[in-house]
Amino acid sequence: MKIPKLLQFAVLVLIAYGIFKAPGWFGVPIPGSLIMMYMFFAVVTILLVMTSTEKSAQELFTPIKALVDDPSKAMTRNVVFAVIPIIGAVIVFNQVKPSFEAPVELRATHPAPPSTLRAFNKSFNIGTLENPMRKLAKEDPAKFKELVKEGGVVYYRNCFYCHGDKLDSKGHFAQGFNPLPLPFQGKDTIAQLQESFVFWRISTGGPGLPKESTPWLSSMPIWKDLLTEDEIWKAILFIYDYTGNVPRSWEK
Amino acid sequence: MRKRAILLAIMLAAAPGLALAGGDAAKGKEIYEKRCWWCHGAKGAGDGPAAEFLNPPPRDFTSGVYKWKSTPFDEIIPTDEDFVKMVKGDINHNNIAGWNGMNGTSMPGWGDMLGTQDVNDVIAFIKSLAELGAPQKPAISISGAVSSSKESLERGQKVFKDRCTECHGEEGRGDGTKKLKDDLGFRTWPRNLTKPFTFRVSNKAKDIYTRITVGIPGTQMPSFADPSSQKKLTDEERWDVANYVASIEAPYKKPTESTVINALRVEGEVPDKHDDPAWEKAKYTSFYMVPQLIAAERHFTPSLDTISVKAVYNDKEVAMLVAWDDRTKSLPGNAKAIEIADGDVFEDAVAVQWPVTIPQESEKPYFGMGDAMLPVNIWYWKSESGAGQPQSFKLLNSKGIKDREERDPASVGLKYSAAYDKGTWRVVMKRPIKTGDASKDIQFEEGKFIPVAFAAWDGSNKEKGSKHEMTTWCWILMQPPTGSSVYVWPIIVGCIILGAELAWLKSTRGRKKTGE
Ligand code: HEC
Ligand code: HEC
Ligand code: HEC
Repeated sequence: MKIPKLLQFAVLVLIAYGIFKAPGWFGVPIPGSLIMMYMFFAVVTILLVMTSTEKSAQELFTPIKALVDDPSKAMTRNVVFAVIPIIGAVIVFNQVKPSFEAPVELRATHPAPPSTLRAFNKSFNIGTLENPMRKLAKEDPAKFKELVKEGGVVYYRNCFYCHGDKLDSKGHFAQGFNPLPLPFQGKDTIAQLQESFVFWRISTGGPGLPKESTPWLSSMPIWKDLLTEDEIWKAILFIYDYTGNVPRSWEK
Repeated sequence: MRKRAILLAIMLAAAPGLALAGGDAAKGKEIYEKRCWWCHGAKGAGDGPAAEFLNPPPRDFTSGVYKWKSTPFDEIIPTDEDFVKMVKGDINHNNIAGWNGMNGTSMPGWGDMLGTQDVNDVIAFIKSLAELGAPQKPAISISGAVSSSKESLERGQKVFKDRCTECHGEEGRGDGTKKLKDDLGFRTWPRNLTKPFTFRVSNKAKDIYTRITVGIPGTQMPSFADPSSQKKLTDEERWDVANYVASIEAPYKKPTESTVINALRVEGEVPDKHDDPAWEKAKYTSFYMVPQLIAAERHFTPSLDTISVKAVYNDKEVAMLVAWDDRTKSLPGNAKAIEIADGDVFEDAVAVQWPVTIPQESEKPYFGMGDAMLPVNIWYWKSESGAGQPQSFKLLNSKGIKDREERDPASVGLKYSAAYDKGTWRVVMKRPIKTGDASKDIQFEEGKFIPVAFAAWDGSNKEKGSKHEMTTWCWILMQPPTGSSVYVWPIIVGCIILGAELAWLKSTRGRKKTGE
């Protein structure tokens, strides 16, 4: 059986709409105004394709033409003619009615770090900085294990309220912060970062971020005011160890 | 092979305490030492490195006392299902987005990280710490449920007044008159029963019934089924009061996704007092508050958890009503307040923070009291500093935690009124929309999303100065009346489409007539 062109057109438009809406079902909605724009292009593209040959254009438009040409369809025509202006009016109303949705605040979660970091009365070159304790993993595994555990103690006295008992960003106070704390579990989190980056983020916290990362919103504390340099490096050992992640190295 | 089986049987017989359906305590110990000891302690005594920052404190497993169990009051050991629920987290809970553990505590749900076998292993291990075996008595029966009819609720309310208010307060907001400690001497705050999202288990009638039938072991919340207790209630009475407690939920107190307070435009005067009927039409927006654990002296054990705000305005003035549940009216120097407080008593307080200049772009002042470039206004109210003393109200201009200027609120026409009633503070703050000086004070504007943030202090929970609860930036929108203009465009567009349709129809008719 052949599907009527007009129905094909309607189905394609619906599919396009579904695709643009889909991210929203997984918690990352595309803003309404963007969807409107995408839909405009989608509809134009579908029309262009479907009218690319004379024949298919005719097939597409015949049922529409029949509406006005064919007297036996007068009833359908009246209904369609009444419904379309109403749909148009509703769409416009949704555009102009006042919105109470908070403005979307976009931020870069992983901005480029500065080249140097001033902390603990020193200057660190972030381009070359390494975790001074990392080498013990091979040289002295027993000592390394101890440092990881000490890092855990730092974590469970300072960080877990926000970043979570399970390092999954779901600490018992996390829901009160906006933006939410970031997780360390999973392969797409700290495994993608160099330890120097993590050291910079922890040392200077939210206020140390560049503007594209909305430093005025981030609740991440400035840990160089509250912890020692060693404590920060140990906490870093711990968050990698607990999650089974490996820091990104310079070669990669 | 057979030898091993016999050996196993002997081991199990010798150590009944370690036998949870297939749980291996030795394996459980490994999991415990990776995941649980941070809070529950190296030896399970509830004294891990995180413990001093937590209220309620992590459970001491060496005591063998468990709170959230379903076995009767005279059976201290929980069922296996109880244990699994405690460790995995209970999905049937009144959920807080992003949290799958025991609400109102730091105990997370481990179901997403530990498999069934892991959970059984770790349970076998923690049971072994107090040498607990299987419970001798089964879980209490919940088959006699009384449905939540009007009569049941009325009876339940009577029981509640009689048995529960001394701890949970007249309206159930946790503002009882008793100072409560658990068996280990830690401060416990009775639950605010109007906020089910803070319940450890849930506010379904069957769970509340279970709680009052079993009691909460280790705390002062008793079993109301204990025949030796003067407070004993019949089975029906316990269902009635459970129905009643389930009915006193105040849904608006649970924060939603929305971060916007919709200020409502009113005809006539903007109210001065919280009980003015003009507030009725405006709706509360609620926000989670978290303790200040970011800078200076930090706070880890909050007693306030949410704040609810509504606002109204007219041509000249804007007023906001800030309401939050606080179990204690903290009056420094007052004997009753001292008795119930945890430590010294300070004032209760609330603060509302605004950017001095409404941001044009996304850049705002730092949410923690502003910064050098972008200062904030803070409206700061404090309760009486002692019997017969006045409440205090200040206007601060702040450029960060160390740089602030104190000003007289009257100089910009900023006013307040405050009242405490049965566990709730309600504070109204009101100011003219515009003041003389835009460089020092926010100038409100209709139709704009304006950032606003809140902080609150419970003076009976050692909160003072930088130790307080707070929100991050939220929004307020002085919502212009919708007016008729929003209908004009849709009607115009509808008419244009209709016109086009008719023109098309006419043109084809025309063509037909001319015999094309
Ligand atoms: C008050 C809550 C809070 C506390 C306490 C806290 N953080 Fe954060 N942290 C955040 C938030 C919110 C973010 C995400 C926003 C941002 O990027 O600044 C974050 C981001 C981070 C990042 C960046 C992750 C990434 O993928 O770029 C690291 C690393 C980090 N925190 C480590 C820590 C460590 C280590 C501690 C304890 C010493 C800690 N945090 C304590 C709130 C907190
Ligand atoms: C971040 C701290 C933290 C971690 C990590 C933690 N717990 Fe808890 N746990 C708590 C707190 C706090 C309580 C007390 C809750 C209460 O009083 O209602 C608790 C209570 C419990 C209870 C008792 C519940 C009851 O009914 O009395 C069990 C069982 C328990 N935890 C098991 C575990 C296990 C198993 C792990 C590791 C897989 C673990 N906990 C990890 C903080 C933690
Ligand atoms: C002596 C004081 C006291 C009395 C009387 C009392 N409670 Fe409680 N109640 C408490 C305390 C304390 C807690 C919190 C315990 C904890 O979490 O450690 C609590 C918690 C609760 C909870 C919370 C359960 C959860 O899942 O979190 C409910 C429900 C409850 N009580 C209902 C009642 C009812 C109904 C009555 C009257 C029949 C009552 N209580 C009488 C002290 C009391």
